[in-house]
Amino acid sequence: MLQKASEEIHRALYMKSLRKGLSRSVNRLVPAPYRILDRWRYLLGYTEEIREAKEKVLNDIDYYIDATMKMVEETKGHAYYAKTKDEAVKLVKDLVGKDKLIVKSKSMVTEELGLREELDRDNTVFETDLGELLIQFSRDKPMHTTAPAIHITREKAIMLLKRHGVKVRDNMSTMEIVGMVRLFLREKFVKADAGISGANSIAADTGSIFLVSNEGNIRNTTSLPPIHIAITGVEKIMPTMELAFKQAVTQAAYAGLYPPTYVSVISGPSSTADIEFERVYGVHGPKEVHVILYDGGRVEALKDEVISEQLYCIRCGRCQAECPIWQLVGNTWGGRVYGGPMGMGWTAIIEGIEKASSLSHFCLLCGKCREVCPMKIDMPRIIRYLKMYYFKYVK
Amino acid sequence: MPLPMADVITMIKNNISKRGTPLPISTGEATGWAMDLDIPHGGETILYTGLLYQLTPFIESVVDRLDKLDDESLGGLLKAGKVFSGILDISRFFVKPDKDEIREQHNKIKRIALLLRKAGVEFGYLYKDEMYSGVLLYDLGLEDEFKKHAEKVFNKFRKHGVKKVITIDPHSTHVLRSVYPQYIEGFEIEVKNYLEILSERGLSPENNIEEDITIHDPCYYARYEDIIQQPRSLLENGGLHIVEAEKSGRLTHCCGGPLESLSPKIAAEIAKYRAAELSGYCDKVVVMCPICYSNLKRVARGIIELTDISSILWKIYGD
Repeated sequence: MLQKASEEIHRALYMKSLRKGLSRSVNRLVPAPYRILDRWRYLLGYTEEIREAKEKVLNDIDYYIDATMKMVEETKGHAYYAKTKDEAVKLVKDLVGKDKLIVKSKSMVTEELGLREELDRDNTVFETDLGELLIQFSRDKPMHTTAPAIHITREKAIMLLKRHGVKVRDNMSTMEIVGMVRLFLREKFVKADAGISGANSIAADTGSIFLVSNEGNIRNTTSLPPIHIAITGVEKIMPTMELAFKQAVTQAAYAGLYPPTYVSVISGPSSTADIEFERVYGVHGPKEVHVILYDGGRVEALKDEVISEQLYCIRCGRCQAECPIWQLVGNTWGGRVYGGPMGMGWTAIIEGIEKASSLSHFCLLCGKCREVCPMKIDMPRIIRYLKMYYFKYVK
Repeated sequence: MPLPMADVITMIKNNISKRGTPLPISTGEATGWAMDLDIPHGGETILYTGLLYQLTPFIESVVDRLDKLDDESLGGLLKAGKVFSGILDISRFFVKPDKDEIREQHNKIKRIALLLRKAGVEFGYLYKDEMYSGVLLYDLGLEDEFKKHAEKVFNKFRKHGVKKVITIDPHSTHVLRSVYPQYIEGFEIEVKNYLEILSERGLSPENNIEEDITIHDPCYYARYEDIIQQPRSLLENGGLHIVEAEKSGRLTHCCGGPLESLSPKIAAEIAKYRAAELSGYCDKVVVMCPICYSNLKRVARGIIELTDISSILWKIYGD
């Protein structure tokens, strides 16, 4: 496994378009959080509050899963807990049915599930985040947690869009390209039978899910179709709505975009009581909201004192942008879904410690990831642990 | 085709367990710097080189060989299946480095020793009894081997009645000060870095050098051992003007060195990135770690000019 990974990484090292795409984006991505934190200094305080709250949630995860599910039901949503990948995929498939049109917003948890590919067999699925749409069209994997198409150059983007029926031309400006994508996706949003999203945060005290976006695609995905299905990892639970908000915007800030254009807070299906105060569900927004709390190895990982620290991650991807190895090869290093420094811990959680331990040897242990992590996760400690695991149990 | 990483690690492990150092180095090559200095044998306070400066020319030679191997003949060698298997005679893998290069490394240590002496610090040296710190075992994830090695080093210190150790590079400093205590019960040796000591002692400069330089902080000084300000004050007191890179201090960017034996290619790409970045601030770059020096040197030509901090400190406080 180690040698296969090494070959892939070395191949990526010499892929000119990947390197070019990565370096262009890294130059913009790295400085952004510094500017943001300098200006909105309270965000630093948020990170401490979030870390504290996460500790509380992770130490009492069963209680918080229950509490969240109860509140989702209380707000007339449907709540589910999925322990495994198969359970989660089956839940979504049963909810969606067959031959449906589905719009989807970018979500790393759905990448974990391979959900797009799973649903695509019996349905038609469109990613609505532009970067993720490019990933879908190129049959690639997301190269960064919040900027999935960070490695795709403009030239390649135009080629991909054209091939899939988006009416773009070679000499179009970015703005013109985006206009065409808008046109292309607009009718999908209107016709879709279901919208699928992740969640940046979910509040245990209200059952509300928080979704951050800049494109506006998430608002359309979660409000136009009659059914909204949200899937999120159990580590995204925050004790209160206030903290859930803080987690969502802090992630955006450390990902380099602040203030985020849209923060959607969704607590159940749309409803009205405007005729004789009789409450009916399904007005302009969805009639049904389904919230799936996904475990996928997380609860089990809590037993491991070292690996479990990765569950504090708010998935901003700053450790990736700042990592010397990631800057060269992107998510080629790190695992099937999550790459770079955060990918080591996450791969251990979702794909097993053995797999992660084979990949850990590429880390320099330079410690930059820990330095820039808003949650101060000691990723070098996790990676050392994985390296040691490799020689004790794998090799 | 990339190097077979697991085999390279095994090779390093076997070499350390066989001879105590990752690469074969003679007593003269390890201790030669102390000739003519009349440093007492042993003592409560010792200067501990950790052999890193001395090993650097050897490391460079092996990395150069591995890098080329990486390109040309690896496929065939792997098929033959002999090269990396089992205990391997690493001497097949490198050409002995140039005498001048070894001497240059010795000079760096010598200057550090003389500066300490000038600052009124009394210290001894373990000469041929000095052992490698084992930091590479720790970094590669070879925990059991590391623990065993560290115990040997500790016993050697104890045998000589060492109570305080002065370190001269970031890796040895970190591993002795922050890692040994986690692995060795009763490790109560005080570990101080020479830059910390020199800065505390407030040496007065003999010469004023008015020059612009930029600093490449080593990860382990800056992020793990909080050695950031000391080298800066020492340099600034000598008239130097530090053009700070954005990625400096705790936010420094790795030189790529830690990967140089596992993937010379990745290590070189990172070094290129870092060298280009530093050159944007100043082409004169001060480094403080022999590994940084050697990995950046591979790509430095025509981009940046590297100097180990010991050489500049010698110019300011020594002569």
